[in-house]
Amino acid sequence: MTLDLSALETSYADFDFGPVDLTVDREVLAVLGPSGSGKTTLLSLVAGITEPDSGSIALDSRELVGRPPEDRNVGIVFQEGALFPHMTARENVAYAGAGDNRVTELAGMLELDDVLDRQPPTLSGGERQRVALARTLAADPDALLLDEPLSSLDAPIRRRLRDELHDLFASLDVPILCVTHDQRTATALGDRVAIVRDGTVEQVGTPSAVLDRPANRFVARFTGNENLFEGHVVERTAEGARVRVGGAPLQAAESDAPGSGVPGSDPHESIAAGSTVTISVHPSRVELAAPDDATGTGKDAARANPLTGTVTRWLHEGTDYRVEVEVGDGVAFTTTVRPPTFDRLGVERGVELAVSVPPEAVHLIPRSAER
Amino acid sequence: MATRTDTERMGSVDWLSVALVLGGLLVVYYVAPLASLFLSASPGAVAGRLGESSVRSAATTSLLSASITTVVATAFGLPLAYWLARAETRWRTVVLGFVVLPLVLPPTVGGVVLLTVVGPNTLVGEWAAAAGVPLTRSLAGVVLAQTFVASPFVVVTAKAAFESVDETLEYASRSLGKGRWATARNVTLPLAGPGILAGVTLAFARSIGEFGATMMLSYYPRTMPVEIWVSFVSLGLDSAYPVAILLVAISVAALLVLNTVARNPWR
Repeated sequence: MTLDLSALETSYADFDFGPVDLTVDREVLAVLGPSGSGKTTLLSLVAGITEPDSGSIALDSRELVGRPPEDRNVGIVFQEGALFPHMTARENVAYAGAGDNRVTELAGMLELDDVLDRQPPTLSGGERQRVALARTLAADPDALLLDEPLSSLDAPIRRRLRDELHDLFASLDVPILCVTHDQRTATALGDRVAIVRDGTVEQVGTPSAVLDRPANRFVARFTGNENLFEGHVVERTAEGARVRVGGAPLQAAESDAPGSGVPGSDPHESIAAGSTVTISVHPSRVELAAPDDATGTGKDAARANPLTGTVTRWLHEGTDYRVEVEVGDGVAFTTTVRPPTFDRLGVERGVELAVSVPPEAVHLIPRSAER
Repeated sequence: MATRTDTERMGSVDWLSVALVLGGLLVVYYVAPLASLFLSASPGAVAGRLGESSVRSAATTSLLSASITTVVATAFGLPLAYWLARAETRWRTVVLGFVVLPLVLPPTVGGVVLLTVVGPNTLVGEWAAAAGVPLTRSLAGVVLAQTFVASPFVVVTAKAAFESVDETLEYASRSLGKGRWATARNVTLPLAGPGILAGVTLAFARSIGEFGATMMLSYYPRTMPVEIWVSFVSLGLDSAYPVAILLVAISVAALLVLNTVARNPWR
């Protein structure tokens, strides 16, 4: 099964969606974007809730545009589950006509045995989501759509269900389109991630491609990349480029394969010596070390753009620390630090530390990529 | 400072109590005449009038016509209500305007309007009379008058009930392969049930109490409101009391029955 969207366009009074081209094979495409970016419109179009002004939606070359929702065989799991409140969980799952055996099988798979005879209002958020998923799967859809499946859940349940969904999705043999505004959900569930903004797709790529090599500032910021600096290309080299951010020289490796998800453009064409670029480094790729460590114990730290900086602030974010280190000339790197490292380095405001940035983590965004 | 204390004291007036006093007056105004009505006629007098054939036939006509009207209003009103709730067209507002029209029109005017279409000298009226179904001075006439006046209650109330059903639930049903009709039957109707029943109840109550349009269209066979009017003008207020009491009793009973049915609409 392949879900193929091409030149899909629709417009409301104050919102234009598209044109959008996307292909989803037997994989999970996570659609990530802020609210109002058109994520839900995308699902509505595929499910048949909204009709496009133009463009095509094909499921294995079967055109869906023009068909009512009931003739599409596209399953959709709505944000809050949209369970029928006057039916028990079992009746909900059996709604599409699944037999007892199928209901039992799905209930077992999604751990719903204990809640099958309860009414939806008495179910917890996680249970509701799983019943909704079971109900959708019971109809054996040719494609599966999920609208913010985890957003209404508390953090611990969200993580558990995310793990479960990940395994479940791997076992399904249909295209899956999962819409979310949460970067963690998108990268955890998606085989590929599509970033949308104002009704258009900004970038499609593997989670690591999108995180480490954002196509533009918007993608970078939306995927939690705070290290965005204006810089100049000093020189193109065989391995990549040398750039200068404020006073700091940085080596960027040519890790960017052409076409890292931006249709029709090779970003490196416009990265010539002397040009101005945006330099993006994901916080998780910036490493901190004790100052005397800078010249090299382990991990090739010496070669990885050695810098020195002063801690200006830090935040405890639960699983790790977010530390801001100023390396001079107003350039401050944000980095995520795991608690053992944080404790070992004795991070405190004003402390001087060695900062290393692997060249392959230095991503250059040409001016032409911004809009 | 003094002013501020004053406003604070003003603010501490228990507005709920004020609301109760004001609203309570209105409730007394509803209940007192009813109580007075029941005290105005002795049970014996009521029982005596019930034995009269004219009263019995009026009660039969009223119950029968109001029941038929309720069925007709529901059969045609629900689809219209559903369309009004779900259609995405500007015509919605126009259609809704026509639906509300009988509600704001004086019933006697409603009767006049109907007579211009189904009256004895009109095309429709003559044709129907020739076919053996006279549309005035007949049960059909009563039903036509009542339907005109009462059916908007079904439409307006059921429309609100349909609208209160989350459309997402309908899309969920349809994405599971159920068409519009199956979705309406399995999801929308059960969920809108209580609201629909409220509308049906209102329509029934309005039908059984209909006087103005019925008078114009069908003086005979007499419904209870017409019978009350006739008793009042020919024999005086005292003789109208027993029939009025009977009508109140039937209306209240009908409300109770429908409310009991509506208590658990999802089962």
